[in-house]
Amino acid sequence: MPELELKRGDVVKLEGMLSLHVKDGKVSISGGLHEKGNKLVVPRAKSLPLEAETDAVIEYTLGESGSVERLPGRTISREWDELVADILREKPRLVMVIGNVDVGKTFFTTYVANTLLKHGVRVAALDGDVGQSDIGPPSTMGIGIFERPVGILHEVPTLAAYFVGSMSPSNHMLEFIAGMKKLVELGLKEADVVIVNTPGWISGGPGRALQLYVMELLNPDLLVALQRGRELEHLLISVPHVKVRRISVYQKVRSRSTAERTLLRWLALARYFEGSSRITLDLRKVRLGRCYYHTGEPIDPKTLDVQAPIIYTEKLPEGLLIVTEGKLDQKIMQELEAKFGGVKVVARGSEQNVLVGLMDNADVLLSIGIIDGIDYARERMAVITPVKNGGKIAAVQFGSMRIKPTGEEIGTIKPGTF
Amino acid sequence: MTFEQSDLQKLVEEIIELLQRYRDDPGALEVIFSELRAMFQRIPIYSGIIASLLPMVVQPVTAEQLKDGSEITVVLKDDRTFIGKVAHTTPNEIKLVECKQFEQPKLCGELSLPTGEIREIRLLTRGVLDKKRPTPKPRK
Repeated sequence: MPELELKRGDVVKLEGMLSLHVKDGKVSISGGLHEKGNKLVVPRAKSLPLEAETDAVIEYTLGESGSVERLPGRTISREWDELVADILREKPRLVMVIGNVDVGKTFFTTYVANTLLKHGVRVAALDGDVGQSDIGPPSTMGIGIFERPVGILHEVPTLAAYFVGSMSPSNHMLEFIAGMKKLVELGLKEADVVIVNTPGWISGGPGRALQLYVMELLNPDLLVALQRGRELEHLLISVPHVKVRRISVYQKVRSRSTAERTLLRWLALARYFEGSSRITLDLRKVRLGRCYYHTGEPIDPKTLDVQAPIIYTEKLPEGLLIVTEGKLDQKIMQELEAKFGGVKVVARGSEQNVLVGLMDNADVLLSIGIIDGIDYARERMAVITPVKNGGKIAAVQFGSMRIKPTGEEIGTIKPGTF
Repeated sequence: MTFEQSDLQKLVEEIIELLQRYRDDPGALEVIFSELRAMFQRIPIYSGIIASLLPMVVQPVTAEQLKDGSEITVVLKDDRTFIGKVAHTTPNEIKLVECKQFEQPKLCGELSLPTGEIREIRLLTRGVLDKKRPTPKPRK
């Protein structure tokens, strides 16, 4: 196995995939302290900085596209460490990190959390990047406690996750904001400092609204603006009530294309659903959320007195929800609208592959799942999920993505379809 | 005033703009509609993405830029419009295959239509907002 002898202060770039063993001395990886005997794996497509805290020897094994490269000096700006020193001195409880996509918010969060941990601080990280979620599965935001130093945020065990319903907060702003609040409250109970990593949606009406209302609701003690130039100033001008720290971007940040992001999500979902099974839920015993279906008063389709392939009907405050076997004739539709007001039509089978959140009795997310069909007459829902004990599932929340169990994103559905 | 919290307005503005720009080109409108429907079926929650992609469906080009096999619409100086695929081009002409011509609207003044030939009659309501959802006027 190749070895590398390091002098105190030496800097090395670790490019995954590789596995590493600290044979002697102490090194910092992503700001986390690793001592003699520690082992670490750097996954493919990840690049991490290693600094020798003492004279040290590391052993490593390279995998596909892995490399170990000595660098002439530190790549992480001193202002990152100055920020950590300020956090140690001023003890803010809630630190919020904002920045555009591909500025390295996740690495920054990992570095700061690891460095605080080195000083004995109990740190929780909330990963709000629902598409590239490192804590919790894609389509959720998750919070985890740094029990030990990690190379990448993904290694932090999930304390809790919140189902947003899609790979972006777009069209799920209420879920996103509610989830942020719930997870931050949990984190503040469990840790000394909570670092919130936010999505890189910083401009346009919805992006501005999301960032500013999250800031207003969470009211962080410290707002870290990670920017290349002045791309966050339009937001910072509106937040005089919190302490803002402008921090420059780590120069080695790699940008990802949309296709690369989709592929990474695909792989993450495929890994998540690997070994899943199909379970059947009794909808008379399970609460359904974020949908119209099963929130009204069921009525016998025969009482509608129309010649149409209607297999299920519910009366809602908004009118009628009907599930049909095929297309509904326009005239029948008009007839029903005249009689009941609004008519929401769900075609049987359209529930196939819809992403859902599966909750326990205390409304804690157990897992995400994929609908494999609803038997409307018998009130049964089949779901593909890694959850082994279906009896624990007390609620199902509808999302707006269609996913195959292989991880492939087939498309999205309009919120309010069901 | 507050922020737009959805890109839906942007999408509606984009559709209005495209309908206005290509009102003389039924072939272009047909393809825009087909792409809009296909995108909305696949990604109804990402109206911002649809709004940014929709203007790319129809793009003005010159005859020199055409490639064999490209699908195009052509509006002639006499207002006739065609949709088809480019078979080949020369400096003097463009040959289209799988081609369709659209009739342009003509003013026809008075017209008598035999009811036996009618498939469907559609009632048009202009000013529907004021008629169906009138704004109450304060009493003086």
